Amino acid sequence: MSDGGSGPTRPTRPSGSTGPTRSTRRPETGLLGDPMSAPEQSVDFLTELFRHPLDAGYSDAAAARERIAEPTVRVRRSGFVLRTLTLVATGLLLVVAYQQTVAAEPEAAKTRASLVQDVTARQAETDAQQRQAEALRNEAAKLRDAIVGPNASALDQAEARTGLGAVTGAGAVVTLASGPAPTNPVTGQEQANDQGHIVDFDLQVISNELWRDGAEAISINGQRLIATSTIRAAGSAILVDLAPLSEPYVIQAVGPPTMTGALTKSAVGNFYDYLATTYGVHFSVRSTSDLTLPAAADPGLRYATPLTAPSAPTTRSPATTESPRSTPPEGGP
Amino acid sequence: MYAVLAMIAGIALGVILEPTVPVALQPYLPIAVVAALDAVFGGIRARLDGIFDDKQFVISFVSNVLVAALIVYLGDQLGVGGQLSTGVVVVLGVRIFGNVAAIRRHLFKA
Repeated sequence: MSDGGSGPTRPTRPSGSTGPTRSTRRPETGLLGDPMSAPEQSVDFLTELFRHPLDAGYSDAAAARERIAEPTVRVRRSGFVLRTLTLVATGLLLVVAYQQTVAAEPEAAKTRASLVQDVTARQAETDAQQRQAEALRNEAAKLRDAIVGPNASALDQAEARTGLGAVTGAGAVVTLASGPAPTNPVTGQEQANDQGHIVDFDLQVISNELWRDGAEAISINGQRLIATSTIRAAGSAILVDLAPLSEPYVIQAVGPPTMTGALTKSAVGNFYDYLATTYGVHFSVRSTSDLTLPAAADPGLRYATPLTAPSAPTTRSPATTESPRSTPPEGGP
Repeated sequence: MYAVLAMIAGIALGVILEPTVPVALQPYLPIAVVAALDAVFGGIRARLDGIFDDKQFVISFVSNVLVAALIVYLGDQLGVGGQLSTGVVVVLGVRIFGNVAAIRRHLFKA
């Protein structure tokens, strides 16, 4: 403890100073050397922390021990017990924290795995039901064709047009996928690829261009587009009629042979060629002679109710039976 | 040395009993461990300085753990739990480093 030597040499230990001498003591703020500050109290917190990492209580207790007599055996024994208990608690805390950390990891992985399993199972279930619906629809169409007779082909044409029936034919296949995410040159981590990322808008634009170029039926990743279809974004996923799609997006279109050329020469085709060369977007168009597009899911009727042929007079409502004309309506127009 | 034996006894107790921590207390466990380590290193340093005190050690252990948990709890309630945890870890980490440096000077004279 060098006291500078200019003034009277006083003890600088905090424990040695009492009330009256405190005001005359020299500042101890040696590290930062701020002469304006009062001693001790204003030594800023971080400096104090770096200089004296030990709790001040230890030195205070040691000073107090010097003043009073040796502690009794009872005090020493209770101190020993307390110290031992604290150390046992420390060891326990370490182990519990370690076990907790180790246990938390597989727990999270397990939850995730079970969720993934759930999703896969549900998807398989949906696929199976979809196939069943399709088979039943085909069956219904055959039975109906048998009943309708000569007009069946016209009906099939109309169904193919509207997307309610599966179609086959020559056409074009457009494959679209996001470009690779650029890496940050400094950190080496992947950055968000905003420019080369395929969004719902891209699928909308390309489908509309295909319709314009004469496509008669379009499906995206096996989802048939019909008049009421929507292509929307939900978070990072693209939904076509509520079915989530994943990359790469394959747009199949049945249409005239000129369709492929028309698409590549169109403004849309040029734009995606530009995106492909600039941002690494994957964009390819090819003609194919054999495409089979599935039927769209039955959109269902929301407002209209089908006109069912009345079956028997007994099922009519009482209002009709009370009417003066009691002739069965079967004979009517 | 009793201290090391006591700590080993605590570790053995934890391994044997495998106590489960309530979910509500789990976020405070890591910060409590850091606080406990600070108290332990402070105790070791005081021991080597020759000024170890049982009462001071026990009180610093208990209050460190409780205050650290309280700060994290308050931070969670205020929505700044992560930042406050970082602050607590920094302060305790500085103290641990300082005390370990003092212990090192005692043991190796370097």
